[in-house]
Amino acid sequence: MDNYSVRKVIDRSMRIFAYLALIVALIPLFSIIGEVLLKGASSVNINFLTQPSPTVGEAGGGVANAIQGTLITVGLASLIGVPLGIISGIFLSEYSEAKISSPIRFFNDVLSGFPSIVVGIFGYALIVRAVGFSVTAAAFALAILMLPIVTRTTEEAMKLVPATVREAAIALGVPRWKTIVTVVLSGAKKGISTGILLAVARIAGESAPILVTMGYWRWWFAGLNQPVASLTLNIYIFAISPFENWQALAWGSALVLVMLILGINIIVRVATREKYK
Amino acid sequence: MSRLIDIGLEQLASVVFRMGEMAYKTVSLSLDSYIEGTNALPQIQEMSETLIVMADEAEDKAFELIARFQPVASDLRILKSYMKITYDFERYGRYAFDVSQVQRASGGLEQCESWISESIREMSEKVLSMVHTSIASLKSHDVELARTLSETENQVDGMYFRYLDRLVEKAPATNKCTISSVLVARYLERIADHATYVGESIIYLATGEKVTLR
Amino acid sequence: MSYKFEIENLNAWFGSKHVLKNISMKIREKAVTAIIGPSGCGKTTLIRCINRMHEIVPGARVSGKVLFNGIDIYAEDVDPVQIRRKMGMVFQKPNPFPMMSIYDNVAAGLKLNGVRDRKRLSEVVERSLEMAILWDEVKDDLNKSGVSLSGGQQQRLCIARALAVEPEVMLMDEPASALDPIATAKLEVLIRMLAKDYTVVIVTHNMQQAARVADFTAFLYLGELIEYGPTKALFENPENELTEKYITGQFG
Repeated sequence: MDNYSVRKVIDRSMRIFAYLALIVALIPLFSIIGEVLLKGASSVNINFLTQPSPTVGEAGGGVANAIQGTLITVGLASLIGVPLGIISGIFLSEYSEAKISSPIRFFNDVLSGFPSIVVGIFGYALIVRAVGFSVTAAAFALAILMLPIVTRTTEEAMKLVPATVREAAIALGVPRWKTIVTVVLSGAKKGISTGILLAVARIAGESAPILVTMGYWRWWFAGLNQPVASLTLNIYIFAISPFENWQALAWGSALVLVMLILGINIIVRVATREKYK
Repeated sequence: MSRLIDIGLEQLASVVFRMGEMAYKTVSLSLDSYIEGTNALPQIQEMSETLIVMADEAEDKAFELIARFQPVASDLRILKSYMKITYDFERYGRYAFDVSQVQRASGGLEQCESWISESIREMSEKVLSMVHTSIASLKSHDVELARTLSETENQVDGMYFRYLDRLVEKAPATNKCTISSVLVARYLERIADHATYVGESIIYLATGEKVTLR
Repeated sequence: MSYKFEIENLNAWFGSKHVLKNISMKIREKAVTAIIGPSGCGKTTLIRCINRMHEIVPGARVSGKVLFNGIDIYAEDVDPVQIRRKMGMVFQKPNPFPMMSIYDNVAAGLKLNGVRDRKRLSEVVERSLEMAILWDEVKDDLNKSGVSLSGGQQQRLCIARALAVEPEVMLMDEPASALDPIATAKLEVLIRMLAKDYTVVIVTHNMQQAARVADFTAFLYLGELIEYGPTKALFENPENELTEKYITGQFG
């Protein structure tokens, strides 16, 4: 065979191999989604979504309170973590020549690798000891977990905005802070929202910090100094229980959680699409 | 550092220098033919026509360089000067042709009185040397040499007007000699003028200064 | 004829690198002044010192005076932001704001300075686009993205954006570098037209462009001002031998 035919064969086989590898890589994702859909779909009905968790021995029940709880926890954590993260990211990107920037960046990267249980215990030590097991403590711990992600992705997104854009605005006589907050920030919108999304997705799925700052809660939201229910903990508690209806609830919770994250994804993508062709 | 335009400038320069040599030969030949009374008209005519062709060639080349290279500063001045100089060289040829036409029509100096011969010979030598100087200073872009043309032009002017005065004074019979010598003297004076124009162009080319050498 | 700028002993540094050395020159108003010179001679730095853009780079430093309308813009109490509003700047690579429409791009300067009146904004946008010889080409769809235009159009959009804030001066840093010959020709015509109402300073590495477009030309070399004068004289018979060598292409 001449050189060209050999190359064609190699090209084709590599391509097939690449496709196969892709399929193999996607198998876990699709099988998880598939399994969750399969096992959980039967549980999800209107009752499921509107009733709170059942007690031992009670039939039926739902995860309405867990949905509420997860939303509140994640929402509260985002309220703290997102603005802080964006501001830090802006600082690191726009004022990276300041001497303090390198240390901040370094510690930020260290924090992003911290085990979540350790952050949970920190939240326990700080908030739980003062206020008790509460959604505040959980939100605090989750905020710390989401902070490095938001910071880093904000910094990267801002850096991607070309310097020429900043120059153009400054040459127009726009003060530096205004340039950053209007022109550069809107150019980094997409990247920043992706970052927030990633962070929210991460903390929505956390269970360890919630365990040590809140614990299991069966009822509806009862105040910031009280715990709330959470989908992730529900999955844990219900899955290891001996009750069948509870196990079904676990699968249902998993499905709801996955749908929630998917929903957030879609909303953010739609909101930050290019408005002009 | 050699540039693209340098090749063109060299080609142009070589045409101009060859024109100069040819123009000198033409003038020299025609003056000799008048002084000695020999007929060189066909030759002179051919040489004069060659000069015209060469002038066209030079002009074309200069315009090509302008269109292609957008020259500035010294390059631009060189082109402007060369174009003027080729016209002056063409004029040398033209006046040389006129002189040999006079010779063919009225004969040469060999039949004339000595004072007429002397005057014309003197003028011819001077003017021929001016032609030579103009070409030499061009080749080396010698500004000082070019400036000397001012002095010699003065001298030629002086000779010309003195000759005219003497003619009026001596009032010889109006014959071939009188007429031809007046015409030739006139042509010599014009050749001298053009030599100074060449000098002025050389000074402009080298220094950017626009001077009058007369 | 009066002077829009009087630059006195201007020096500029990038860290320890001395980029501009004792530049002194007076720039005429309502004329085009070109700054030419080989790469690295400091011409971009010079123009950026005029609207105080040089100093925003970390480690950059300036000394000397730049009198603008008679007032030193480097004096203690002068706000650089105010100075920049009076001078429009156009860069080498066209840089319209990427996420904004044509309309928003042109209006950006005004909007960012607090102008809200829709009517006024529309008027200014139309007038600026007309001055930049772009109105006819874009008037049908001002909502198109700024970056969807061709290179030459984008550059004229940037010019419109700069003109919208009604500056007195237009500073252009190699504005035609990234453009094709036809777009360049259009831009040069625009520059001559702008000179009727604005003081234009243009940096260019293309000598022929300076020869075509500028009333006055300054030649910079290694941070020093070598020669400065009317374009015709400089290109026909430069006084300085270095200038002669540069413009006839004899620099190695």
